[in-house]
Amino acid sequence: MIAHAFFFYFFSTIAILSAIMVIVSRNTVHAVFFLILDFISIASLFIIIGAEFLGMMMIIVYVGAVAVLFLFVVMLMNVSEQTLSWFRGSKQSKHIPVGLTVGAVILLELIVVIGGWKYRDTFTETKFLNFQTDFTNTHAIGNVMYTEYIHLFQISGIILLLSMIGAIVLTYRKREGVKRQSYFKQISREREDSVKLVEVESDKGVNLDD
Amino acid sequence: MIAIQYLIPELILSTSIFSLLIIGVFIKNSFNIIYRLSTFVIFLLILIIISDNNDSVKIFNKSFILDEFASFSKILILVSSFFVLLMSKKYILDIKNNKFEYPIIILLSILGMFFMVSANDLILFYLGLELQSLSLYILASIDRDNLKSSEAGIKYFVLSALSSGLLLYGCSLLYGFTGSTNFEVIANNTGDLKIGTIFAMIFILVGLAFKVAAVPFHMWTPDVYEGSPTSVTSFFSTVPKIAGIAVFIRFMYSPFYEIIDQWQFILVFISIASMILGAVAAIGQNNIKRLIAYSSIGHIGYAIAGIASGTENGFKSTLTYILIYAAMNIGIFAFVFLMKRKGKYVEEISELSGVSKNHPLTSLSLMIILFSLAGIPPLAGFFAKFYIFMAVVESGMYTLAIVGLVTTVVSAFYYIRIIKIMYFDDPKKPFESFKEYGIYSSLALSCIFLVSFFLYPSIFNGIISNINIF
Repeated sequence: MIAHAFFFYFFSTIAILSAIMVIVSRNTVHAVFFLILDFISIASLFIIIGAEFLGMMMIIVYVGAVAVLFLFVVMLMNVSEQTLSWFRGSKQSKHIPVGLTVGAVILLELIVVIGGWKYRDTFTETKFLNFQTDFTNTHAIGNVMYTEYIHLFQISGIILLLSMIGAIVLTYRKREGVKRQSYFKQISREREDSVKLVEVESDKGVNLDD
Repeated sequence: MIAIQYLIPELILSTSIFSLLIIGVFIKNSFNIIYRLSTFVIFLLILIIISDNNDSVKIFNKSFILDEFASFSKILILVSSFFVLLMSKKYILDIKNNKFEYPIIILLSILGMFFMVSANDLILFYLGLELQSLSLYILASIDRDNLKSSEAGIKYFVLSALSSGLLLYGCSLLYGFTGSTNFEVIANNTGDLKIGTIFAMIFILVGLAFKVAAVPFHMWTPDVYEGSPTSVTSFFSTVPKIAGIAVFIRFMYSPFYEIIDQWQFILVFISIASMILGAVAAIGQNNIKRLIAYSSIGHIGYAIAGIASGTENGFKSTLTYILIYAAMNIGIFAFVFLMKRKGKYVEEISELSGVSKNHPLTSLSLMIILFSLAGIPPLAGFFAKFYIFMAVVESGMYTLAIVGLVTTVVSAFYYIRIIKIMYFDDPKKPFESFKEYGIYSSLALSCIFLVSFFLYPSIFNGIISNINIF
């Protein structure tokens, strides 16, 4: 039991601390670092209780989201100044120590989670939930997702559609004076529409105006 | 084999959303046709839901419930959104906000509300709620070149996302402590009272109270109501409130009914606070949309008082209340849509001064609606409050009833103040006249409903008394 408690509290403490750091750090890049740390700690908690599929999905999905977030940070902040202080600026870089710390903690967590994973069967002791351990997580989720929970799956799809519509409604602006390419027009153009063969008499030239 | 016939309204709604979306993309300037088609779809759904009366059915592993209560709430949602769409078209065209997505987003939020009111499961409830609120965020900021509209949208989004987070936390605690997301199993497992269950109940209560804008989670309401376009405000203040109160009733009477001693006091507090704030804070308002916002907070307080009584009569009186509230709200917004001078819509109450000289009929209608909101006897608003107080007194909560009566009197002040401005102040220039039959018919129907309710109240009482939730 002590081992379980140790793993749980280890990851939860890091998760909570890094969540706080996301909010309080004034530097956006640091906030993103701590966000990654937070996600990885929570994914480790998932893996510890034996939900390795959820944990891995969490890492995959959120790492993608964090990459986009990084893009936003880079776009919105003064990039040239940032690059200088990152690599060869004369000023003391403030990012590298934070990045190294977060990286070290993540490495530590990965080591701990691999160690703790071996005990995962004994971690699932709850009163009401009865896990079936004879098939894998992915298998279990797949079994119910398209059968018992099909309506929830469909509604989630509708929510995603709605968010797409919303993003388009709120951001799309029709610009005036932009020349657009029309593939249909291009393809349906015949040779006769645009090329005209003219018999040119010598010394008279061509009259282009007709 | 899942009985697909129980899902017909939801399926029709979602397929029509998809097809309308495709029509809207491929036809240029398709706002008008999409708007008409959406109104028609809503009308069709009203007929479909009225026509099939099956008994209580639970499908999808008992996560989707179809009973009288859900059907009643769905019809109420559809009818009020039908009227909202009917009367807001002219306004949308006038503020040049005629995007064809607008009615589609409204249909999507109605779909979300359908799932909310038929949810018998935490996950389905949450997904329905998210579908509904996500549509509402978009609607609030749909007039994106208007600073106030964008502000309203972002404010609503941030605060509502926070409350969704609290609600979700409550759901996860509830799942952990009762072992299921299904309402019936939860109801069975809340018997041996654990502190976690109470925590979960409180978190869910906070989320729900935010969604219906009850004090102390009402802060967003006035700003969002004022900032968003009036067509959206009229939707906001009517339709999501019906769904929110329906879900409130479902939660309190289905999974949490065993722990009524725990939530009853909280609801009494929420109800009293909403009634007092709704009565006091509306007095100083000059903008009619802000005034409606505060008045809606007060009305939600009365509706929650019915739920707080914890009896069968209690939730039935709440249903009657929310029905009459929707009718009054449609009427008052129909009038707000008429307030247009020199090509601009005005929202200040002072603009109403002496309006009865130029527009005697519409002012008379507004007077009826305002008297009804204040709860003056022969009108429907009186009966709404009467049933609530009867249920509250029956269950012996005299404090709640007394506070309710006192706040009714206080709030009568600001309703009657508008009537005084309309009838006794110096007249200004008349409003622009336009022939928009949707607005006039909504105003007239609302007034006829409010005036004639007392003649035969047993029509609605008969329908509502058949509803059984246990």
